[in-house]
Amino acid sequence: MESTRHGLPGLITAREAGLVACTRCGQVHAGGAVRCKRCHGPLESRDRQSLQKVWAWLIAGIVAFIPANIYPMLITSTLLEHTESTIVGGAIQLVEHHNYGIAAIVFVASIMIPIGKFIAIAYLAISVHRHQILKMHQRHRLYDVVEFIGRWSMIDVFVVAILSALVQLGGVATINPGVAAMSFALSVVFTMLSALAFDPRLIWDADRTAS
Amino acid sequence: MSDENSQRPADLDVRQAKPSIWRRLSFVWIVPILALIVSVTVAWQSFANRGVEIEISFNNASGVTAGETAIKYRDVDVGQVERVEFSPDLQEVLVYARVDKNIAPFLDADAKFWVVRPEVGLRGVSGLDTVLSGVYIEGDWNRDPQVAQTAFVGLETAPITLADQDGSAIVLRTNDGSALSAGAPILHQGIEVGVLGSPELQDDGLTVLVDAFINAPYDKLITTNTRFWDTAGFSVSLGAAGVSLNVGSLASLLEGGVAFDTVVSGGAPMKDLQVFDLFSDEETARNSLFNDAGRPKLNVAVLFDGSVSGLSVGSEVRFQGLRVGQVAELGAVVIDDPDEARVELRTVLAIEPGRLGLGEDATPQDALDLLADFVGQGLRARLVTGNILSGSLVVELVEVADAPEAILDVSAKPFPVIPTTVSNITDVADQAQGVLNRINNLPIEEIMTSAIDLMDSANALVRSDGVMQTPEQVAGLLADARGLIGSPALQAVPDQIAAVVEQARTILGQVSGVMTMVGNADLVGSVTRTVANVEDGTRNLGEISASAQSLLDKVNALQVEALLSQASAAIDSLQVLAENPDLAQVPVSLTQLLDETRGLIANGDVQALPGELRNVADSANQILTDLTAQNVSGQLTNAIAAAASAAESIDTASQQLPAITEQLNTLSANAAQMDLQSLAQAAENTLDSIDALVGTPSAQALPASLSSALDEVQLFLNDIREGGAVENVNAALLSANNAAQAIEDAARTLPELSRQAGALVTNTGAVLSTYGDRSRFNAETLSTLRDIQEAADAVSSLAKAIQRNPSSLITGR
Repeated sequence: MESTRHGLPGLITAREAGLVACTRCGQVHAGGAVRCKRCHGPLESRDRQSLQKVWAWLIAGIVAFIPANIYPMLITSTLLEHTESTIVGGAIQLVEHHNYGIAAIVFVASIMIPIGKFIAIAYLAISVHRHQILKMHQRHRLYDVVEFIGRWSMIDVFVVAILSALVQLGGVATINPGVAAMSFALSVVFTMLSALAFDPRLIWDADRTAS
Repeated sequence: MSDENSQRPADLDVRQAKPSIWRRLSFVWIVPILALIVSVTVAWQSFANRGVEIEISFNNASGVTAGETAIKYRDVDVGQVERVEFSPDLQEVLVYARVDKNIAPFLDADAKFWVVRPEVGLRGVSGLDTVLSGVYIEGDWNRDPQVAQTAFVGLETAPITLADQDGSAIVLRTNDGSALSAGAPILHQGIEVGVLGSPELQDDGLTVLVDAFINAPYDKLITTNTRFWDTAGFSVSLGAAGVSLNVGSLASLLEGGVAFDTVVSGGAPMKDLQVFDLFSDEETARNSLFNDAGRPKLNVAVLFDGSVSGLSVGSEVRFQGLRVGQVAELGAVVIDDPDEARVELRTVLAIEPGRLGLGEDATPQDALDLLADFVGQGLRARLVTGNILSGSLVVELVEVADAPEAILDVSAKPFPVIPTTVSNITDVADQAQGVLNRINNLPIEEIMTSAIDLMDSANALVRSDGVMQTPEQVAGLLADARGLIGSPALQAVPDQIAAVVEQARTILGQVSGVMTMVGNADLVGSVTRTVANVEDGTRNLGEISASAQSLLDKVNALQVEALLSQASAAIDSLQVLAENPDLAQVPVSLTQLLDETRGLIANGDVQALPGELRNVADSANQILTDLTAQNVSGQLTNAIAAAASAAESIDTASQQLPAITEQLNTLSANAAQMDLQSLAQAAENTLDSIDALVGTPSAQALPASLSSALDEVQLFLNDIREGGAVENVNAALLSANNAAQAIEDAARTLPELSRQAGALVTNTGAVLSTYGDRSRFNAETLSTLRDIQEAADAVSSLAKAIQRNPSSLITGR
């Protein structure tokens, strides 16, 4: 039944087989081992605090994401004007200037992806205990995507850092990072840590437990 | 399930007993908690530090931008505009701004806000920084927190002074705000001590009030006696010292300015916002010391029917001759008569109540009541000429005795109306215009043309060769005269005269010779014998002596006195002649006389005159010779012979002494009676004739004749000029010049000759005047007359010689 449901008949987990694998070097040990014979890394069949960490980092990332959108990301000072633009405001300005492509990139990279990551991580963490909508393979792929995409979320911060370093022309024109840049960077870091803290093996355990 | 696992090792029970929740709790939770704490703290702080929102309403919020425009206090940011909205009725722009919390308590009723914009004025550029940064809102309030407000009304322009600035605010009142502008300086002794605000026209439409601020400590200089005047522009004054141009600073020239001075001390300290009158210039200001400058004035209107040309704002208003105010406004007003609409000229008079004699504290209402009373008694307004030259008018309030009933229309708007009476305007301008028109109509152009032609003609005449040569001709005339005088003939005249005299002397010598001959001849012996006979033979010697004595006495007394008196009379006559006024003109007309002389010279007869003179002299010589040869000596010889015979008779008849004596007596008497008497008589007659000659009307008329002769010469010269023979005139003048020179020489060298020549010329003149025709016959006659005169002179001198020395008759010397 279960194997039919999951489409993986006859498969068992290492834990079910009484084995524990080293997450660093892949050496499989017997169930009671606490330290890897090969790399001396700690052995743990399941990270019991994984979900706690996921939620903690996720909450910290969300908290950091709020000021990242309220406060200005980029402070542009020229002779004639002094502009402070938030992330969303900048995207809107780009739309107003008909730079739809760049506006889309900014909006996707800075708004949609972080929020999507929050949702995805939260879903994965919840799905460990609850009834699943997606199948285990799909969830695992989602996890892979989240982890992969996390690093690219820092592109905004990079742009701000490069502009700030380059455009320092004294009184004529100056670009400084705003409070939001720091907040956004923190938010991304926290989100990445959150994704990293998730133990994907729980996906399969949950399925097993459920059954 | 157990079946399936039965062949495998026993399940490893991985489900351990759960530790306590705190032990299971991950340290990672610290991170979101910290993040939350930080976020909440920041949020709270930003909310807590949020400023107070205030609302400022502007009519024009140009340049004010929400989120950018700053609120500044003393150039320091104290807030920022958050929103810019319209009031519900769109009347105003509402600017909502958030200001610092610690500033908010000071924003009380005295807080002012205005928009600072770039401004380029005469005194420099202000707000330049706003060009790049955009406008900002400047706020100003004092350091005394009172009841805080959040709604304010913004100012359109910056206030002239800041809230905490030390000094005094005053108000200047004027009728002409054209020369004043906000920010213009207030000067005292050339130093800027204050600033003017914006001029504001008052509701009455006449008065302009200007707020002004005097900085401390200069505000202490201002008392109620301080006078302010306008220094805008420049003034030119023309006085005895020349033209003086007074120019203030360039800023005040363009922007206007106000200066003040406290003319006299003793004024009361000024109150806050004291109102001062602003005078048009310094002189007016200084002269207005006793003006009731600060007191309100009574404005009344006068509706004049006729033209008010010549009346201007500022013209005097006189009451019984005294200035009581001035014209404040001139304008036309339509009188809406039911019958016909007409326009009257409304003149608004600003009357100073204090000048109507109402005292210091009189109010306009008092003055109005007084005027109403006066109008009831006949007070009327009229126009009179203020300045005859300029034609300016003044308004005079006079009491008209038989004026028709009228009242002061107190209810009239906007000012009470004083009734008018007939104006008294002396229109000098019209009369002057008439005079000018007459002058204008004069044919000045024609006159000028004629004058120019005349001058051209005179110029041409003067420049003509003839006239140019005239002086030379005169010189030539004088040269000719000099030539005449210097001619050998005329020069020979003295010699001739000397010859005549010599001849006379010869005659005398011959007479003397006769006498000597008589003495040498027997006559003397006869006489001697006779005397001897007398001495010898007569006894009546004394009687004879007495008779002889008497004879001598007679001879002595013989007419000598008369002779002398005659000579004296002749001299007197000459004197009279010399003193004749006509003679005085002779020197004056010497030049013209010389002209005549030239005329004489031109005449060949005159040229021959010296010859004639010589002839005369020769004739006289001949006469004297004849006299010597024939008459005189012979007669004397005869007489002496007769005397000798007589003496012989005496000698022979000595016996008959008485008879002889008688005869001798008779002889002596006869001699006295006959010869000497006649001789003296002849001399006397000669002198008489000289006298008569001199005294003749002809001689008396000589000067006049000279004048007339000179006139003739003048006419002759005129004829010459008219005839175009200027060269002749020149020659004549040249001759006259020479003649004058010669005369001068002659006069210097030979005064005697000159006198004689004068007599000669006189006689010549007399002859000429008597006989206009200068013929040789007349010359001959003249020479004859002169011969006779010379003979007479010779006889006269003989007689004088005998008179001086009678014994020579006997002694022969």
